[in-house]
Amino acid sequence: MKKKIGVYICHCGGNISDYVDVEQVRKAVENEPGVFLAKTTMFACADSNQKEMVEDIAAQHLDGVVVASCSPKLHLITFRAVTERAGLNKYNYVHANIREQVSWAHSDNKPGATEKAIRIVKSAIAKVNRSESLEPVKVSATKAVAVIGAGVAGMRAAIELAEAGSEVYLIEREHFVGGRVAQFDDLCVSTETGKTLVTRLYDEVMKHKHVTLFTGAEVIETSGSVGNFNLKVKVVPRYIELRCKEHQLQDAIDVCPVQVPDEFNFNITMRKAIYHNYPSEYPQLPAIDIKNCTRCGECEKVCENINFDQKTEYLNLKVGSILLATGFDPYEPKRGEFGYGEIENVVTLPQFKRIMHYSKDKLMYRGKQIKHIAYIYCVGSRQVDGENKYCSRYCCTATIHSAVTAKNKFKDIYNYHFNRGIRTYGKQEVLYDESSRKGDIYLQSFEDAPPVVEKKGDKTIVKITDILTNNKELEVEADLVVLVTGMVPRKENSIAGLLKVPKGRDNFFNEIHMKLRPVETVIDGITIAGASQGPKNIMESMNSALSAATKSFSIVNAGELALEPTVAKIDKENCEWCGKCDEACPYSAFTKIEYNGKFIAEVNETICKGCGMCLPVCDTNAIELIGFTDKEVESMIDALV
Amino acid sequence: MPEQKETLEYDVLVVGGGIAGGESALNLANIGYKVLLLEKELTIGGKMILLSKVFPTLDCAACITTPKVSEISRHPNITIFTSTVAKKINKIAEHRFEAVILKKPRYVNVPDCTGCQLCEEACPVSVTDQYQYGLVGRKAAYIPFSIASPRAAAIDIDNCTLCGACERACPTKCIDFTQTEEEYLVKVKSVVVATGFNLFDPLKIPRYGFGKFKNVITSMQMERQLAPTRPFNTILRPGDGKMPDNIAYVLCTGSRDKTVGNPICSQICCMYSIKQAQLLMGALPMADITIYYLHIRAFGKGFNEFYAQAQDMGVEFVKGKVGKITENEDGNLILRYEDIESGVVKEAEHDMVVLSVGVLPNMEISETFENKNLELDPFNFVGQPDILASPAKTSIEGVFVAGTASGPMDIPDSILSGGAASAETTSYLRRASL
Ligand SMILES: Cc1cc2nc3c(=O)[nH]c(=O)nc-3n(C[C@H](O)[C@H](O)[C@H](O)COP(=O)(O)OP(=O)(O)OC[C@H]3O[C@@H](n4cnc5c(N)ncnc54)[C@H](O)[C@@H]3O)c2cc1C
Ligand SMILES: Cc1cc2nc3c(=O)[nH]c(=O)nc-3n(C[C@H](O)[C@H](O)[C@H](O)COP(=O)(O)OP(=O)(O)OC[C@H]3O[C@@H](n4cnc5c(N)ncnc54)[C@H](O)[C@@H]3O)c2cc1C
Ligand code: SF4
Repeated sequence: MKKKIGVYICHCGGNISDYVDVEQVRKAVENEPGVFLAKTTMFACADSNQKEMVEDIAAQHLDGVVVASCSPKLHLITFRAVTERAGLNKYNYVHANIREQVSWAHSDNKPGATEKAIRIVKSAIAKVNRSESLEPVKVSATKAVAVIGAGVAGMRAAIELAEAGSEVYLIEREHFVGGRVAQFDDLCVSTETGKTLVTRLYDEVMKHKHVTLFTGAEVIETSGSVGNFNLKVKVVPRYIELRCKEHQLQDAIDVCPVQVPDEFNFNITMRKAIYHNYPSEYPQLPAIDIKNCTRCGECEKVCENINFDQKTEYLNLKVGSILLATGFDPYEPKRGEFGYGEIENVVTLPQFKRIMHYSKDKLMYRGKQIKHIAYIYCVGSRQVDGENKYCSRYCCTATIHSAVTAKNKFKDIYNYHFNRGIRTYGKQEVLYDESSRKGDIYLQSFEDAPPVVEKKGDKTIVKITDILTNNKELEVEADLVVLVTGMVPRKENSIAGLLKVPKGRDNFFNEIHMKLRPVETVIDGITIAGASQGPKNIMESMNSALSAATKSFSIVNAGELALEPTVAKIDKENCEWCGKCDEACPYSAFTKIEYNGKFIAEVNETICKGCGMCLPVCDTNAIELIGFTDKEVESMIDALV
Repeated sequence: MPEQKETLEYDVLVVGGGIAGGESALNLANIGYKVLLLEKELTIGGKMILLSKVFPTLDCAACITTPKVSEISRHPNITIFTSTVAKKINKIAEHRFEAVILKKPRYVNVPDCTGCQLCEEACPVSVTDQYQYGLVGRKAAYIPFSIASPRAAAIDIDNCTLCGACERACPTKCIDFTQTEEEYLVKVKSVVVATGFNLFDPLKIPRYGFGKFKNVITSMQMERQLAPTRPFNTILRPGDGKMPDNIAYVLCTGSRDKTVGNPICSQICCMYSIKQAQLLMGALPMADITIYYLHIRAFGKGFNEFYAQAQDMGVEFVKGKVGKITENEDGNLILRYEDIESGVVKEAEHDMVVLSVGVLPNMEISETFENKNLELDPFNFVGQPDILASPAKTSIEGVFVAGTASGPMDIPDSILSGGAASAETTSYLRRASL
């Protein structure tokens, strides 16, 4: 039991003290066993109060500290650091949450809130009375980072990590790098095209001897934890040896009898089973799409570099941190959604960008010249009924930019924007202004009455009740309807499951703290970048890639990492290996080992997160959680009830 | 003449101690670089430390800023100079910058100040409080606000009468009127510009009556009224101290408006206004809140959901452009606006109006660079010549930009941009050591 516990009760500038009588709480706990001093403070986390705490702990030789304030998610680390600075082992600090759990939850009942706060603080005091000094688990970190996804975000992060001095494995599932940006020509916010940007990044990636790029590669197994992750990577071959001679390659493509929808062109065209996406893409070696290849052997006859003997390889990589940059999928409209899949001249924005790419002087689609284009915004985003409640952020600007580009590039283009309130935030606003000045027409629908796309004879009509013209019912005859499809998380996203990275309510990867820690995840050592975390344009993707690179680098650069010692501990004598703990553990921290002629469970301290899932399932009560021992938890319950 | 002090040497000079500069400084310090952080105000934390709660999480801004600020101020690799600006910065060669910095006297010896506020009580001079955006007064001897870092007194010498009351009251004798301006030469290898943004001054739109009608306030003033370090204990309209029950927000004040020279969207005002509306509904359950808008830019993660939440709570959204505000005898305000949905000009009465003022560039830093030109973009924010691949790069190699110095953005985007600046600085510094 402790003799000199310091208790600090925070007003949180009114967040707590408006509902909880903090002075009454202080009085109620100052005579609890072991309590030496009890104070209230306006902001416990403010620098000045931290200083005062350090002085108290050091001068009074406090042996336990409790701060009653906000959620430990915010400030557990802050106050642990305070005790540590004062020379007291930080595991003698216990956090009591009287804001989220009390003042905010019971703002309608002030006396009740105060009573609850008193009990919560008492239970924290009970726990700190039984706390023990602990030492962190030390592990050495491998100075290497795996970057998953070689889109613009992944490539940029890889370059930065290598420049900073880390070994980098850049793992791309496709046979070609660049992700979505490779699929677009003209981009907004810059005069640079997608291809030149990808080329620039690829050249830099290849220049760095510390970046190893794997294409056709995917992580299929993972183990380990921060500092030392083990990844098993499956690398599918291209079935092509060296760079084909240009004419041979074209011959091989020509003779290939297989036709599959070309995903690079968002399925508006077909490609062969042996393919490359565009002449100058990277790596500059075509690939055979073995899933669709019939092994007819025609290509081998005309190209000597084709080699079907190449084998799928499996590599084992060890890294200290993983940076996820797996990007997004464009939303795929449902059949019949605004006529998609049913009316032939309804396409998506990504398809429209490819259509523009393939048109020369006149904008052509399916053999017809396009003049009147109707853009329907927010398809798959801001859904009133559907799941995607979020705004996809990039699309208003990208659409207006595409519309302006179409007007500049082709003759006789008339743009009609069926929107729900244009969101060209920031400097992108000038683009909106430019398009309006060039005569683009904006029509806005009510939230609950989206525009309707219909066939009238051989014409395609878009109808709207337009807010901007005093609720007039308007009709536009369109040669092409472009559905402005939003961003959705990657369909094939098994990597998240493998690494147990949580997803937010929008299903994109979730950061640990939306405001202050936007690239870190709750899984230590795993960072997220680019559109995998949520819709972003390129500049925003780059900022997040560079931030994630910095965070990953500071992990692997540390050399040695200190992990939480609050992990599960097995009582070897009592354990009879039933395997239930192993099943319950979400992190796969248990292994079965032999001990004194029997099998028992062993905990990998670097993997265990101390979540406690294994405790209740253990029949022989052979597991104890360090820092949350039975006697600590029981004493807390006694104080609460 | 300022007193010439010794030459200082660091790896990186970070100019501006807001959230973006702070994030850059921390990242660099964590990697092991020595950082000098300059802040022209008396405290670090920028605008964020003064906010109420933040959209869309409604985390209390003070609660999430203070740990960050205290981490910055404690970090062994970071030296902070407050009340300090860079007078000039010269690039001597690659990886060699020389800056002359000017530290204004605080007239208080910070390490000795306990923040007891006795000097504040003793001081007879009252002036308006800049950190409360003019809502209330403060003394000439004052602590900026309770969560300032450092939390130490300062003497506002322009308003001080040199009566000596504070000196007599101070128990630790930390007030020192002999302090003078100090000038240092600083040698660094790289510079991060994180000088943030300015707020639009609504006096430039006289038809909104700001400055004339007391119950027309700015969003930053409302932010202060809602903050935990707020001037009053509740929401009051400044005209007569009455609790308002019908508040209007005028979005795009000074943004998307060529007549005031600012064609761009400020990117944050829609969201902070929606946030304030939600907080007001909590603080004043009976009050009606109306937001006059052109477009709601709820584009970021969780924003659209947050917007929907405000609609569900009963915040009124009116698509309309406010043309003019006039005042009634009782201090209530009449808004004349074009209602876009009906196409008719209408009038509405409110008892308080909040102008959602926009984000303007803070251009002063570009003049600091002497022998090289720090180029600005067409809107006078720090230019980003390689915006797609390296958004933190500026026209001067080795000088990087972080946060709102390069354009309007919210806190997470400022953090990401601060992170990008620190990443680019790291690789630039490494090239120096190779
Ligand atoms: C139609 C359209 C137009 C746009 N126009 C613009 C514009 O003009 N300007 C602008 O700034 N932005 C624009 N954008 C946004 C831009 O495309 C994104 O910001 C950018 O692509 C995000 O890059 P990323 O690297 O995060 O993701 P992605 O580009 O999606 O790249 C992710 C990469 O990861 C790979 N990958 C995925 N999963 C795995 C896995 N499990 N293992 C290995 N690799 C994997 C993918 O194959 C891909 O190569 C546009 C977007 C669309 C849809
Ligand atoms: C009313 C209002 C409400 C807001 N609410 C939210 C919200 O809820 N959520 C959200 O995400 N964002 C919000 N924001 C936006 C947020 O304030 C900004 O994103 C953030 O403050 C930007 O940080 P910064 O570091 O770039 O700039 P700043 O906060 O402006 O910091 C810049 C710092 O640099 C200093 N400085 C300037 N020039 C010099 C110089 N020459 N030398 C030395 N120092 C200098 C300044 O004193 C300042 O401390 C809000 C903004 C306003 C106006
Ligand atoms: S960015 Fe524009 S088009 Fe895209 S979802 Fe948001 S509002 Fe709709």
